[in-house]
Amino acid sequence: MSLDKHKAPFVYTDEQLIARFQAGDERAYIELVNRYRDRLINFVFQFLGDREQSEDVVQDTMLKLFEKKHYYREIAKFSTWIYTIARNLANTELRKRKRRKTTLLSHMTRDERDYELPAIQPETGQEVQSEFAEKLIQAAIHALPEHFKTVIILRDIQELSYDDISSIVGVPLGTVKSRINRARLQLQAELKGLR
Amino acid sequence: MNRYQFEDLISEYVENELSLSKRKEFEAYLEEKPDAMELVESVRANMAQMKIIPRMKVSADFNDRLLAKIQTDHARLHRPTPSQRTFFGFTPVHASLMTGLVIAFVFVSMQLFSPEESGLPTQTKIYAEDIVPSLSNPTLQNVNPRAPDLVEAEEDSSLEDNKNKPQKDFSKQMHFVND
Repeated sequence: MSLDKHKAPFVYTDEQLIARFQAGDERAYIELVNRYRDRLINFVFQFLGDREQSEDVVQDTMLKLFEKKHYYREIAKFSTWIYTIARNLANTELRKRKRRKTTLLSHMTRDERDYELPAIQPETGQEVQSEFAEKLIQAAIHALPEHFKTVIILRDIQELSYDDISSIVGVPLGTVKSRINRARLQLQAELKGLR
Repeated sequence: MNRYQFEDLISEYVENELSLSKRKEFEAYLEEKPDAMELVESVRANMAQMKIIPRMKVSADFNDRLLAKIQTDHARLHRPTPSQRTFFGFTPVHASLMTGLVIAFVFVSMQLFSPEESGLPTQTKIYAEDIVPSLSNPTLQNVNPRAPDLVEAEEDSSLEDNKNKPQKDFSKQMHFVND
């Protein structure tokens, strides 16, 4: 099996692809990896804030997809299933990190801290300003409580539907809508404080 | 509409999901409160800014590393652990039990079908020796209450009796059929 060589022009839906993969077609797996790898790294990065670790988590997600392909049942959308795996793995990584932090906090250097705002002023140029704004938003997202953070990332960055978010986080639709609204208000307050 | 109701509806308003009547009510509130309008615009701006955050891409060797990981994990998962190793389909514990049972079966079979050849004392032999005490068996010497001298004397006297008995000649009493 080679992952890059087989770039067949699939026109299948995600659900058709996973069905083909479950039937033994590894090209379908490759297509699913290619479809979701970038989406998932953007999702996971918002939790971890570390590119390398995020990529490792996405790799583990894809590995799980390979090994546990028969666990998927077509009662749910494939996207919600894969996002749920990635979210769980990211949460596990966060818990590990918290445990490490409690023991190693005193040894941490400034570079190791997450979402450290850049030591630049916003008036130095358009590109730098944009970068600064992006860092501010990420810092504000990172400061949100976990249940707000997940839904706001899925809605405003990943642009998933409310129904999909409801399936991924496992809470009713009304709760998702309410959380997203409150998360937006809290984010606005955080950004007001940072600016 | 009060402040709480207004805040609850901000997202639905921004995403254009309010019913017509609710929307009119919401906009009426916005006209009354300039800070409310400011809040709505701020939320809208943040949402727009989040959508334009540059999207990250995985590294170029992502798929190669994934493939290597799959192969490593696949090999690891399919290598049998010591508890998974089998001998002719039996786990080590069951294989040991099975071997013990087979040995026991063979041993019992040998005892049943050829007890003399086994070379080991059997229950039958011991029983025979018990009822016919022999002096050659040292363990049974003490069983005989009589003294050895007395036994020897008895044997001698029985031999004497045999010698003293007259030998009968039956040759003359024999007749052939043709005679």
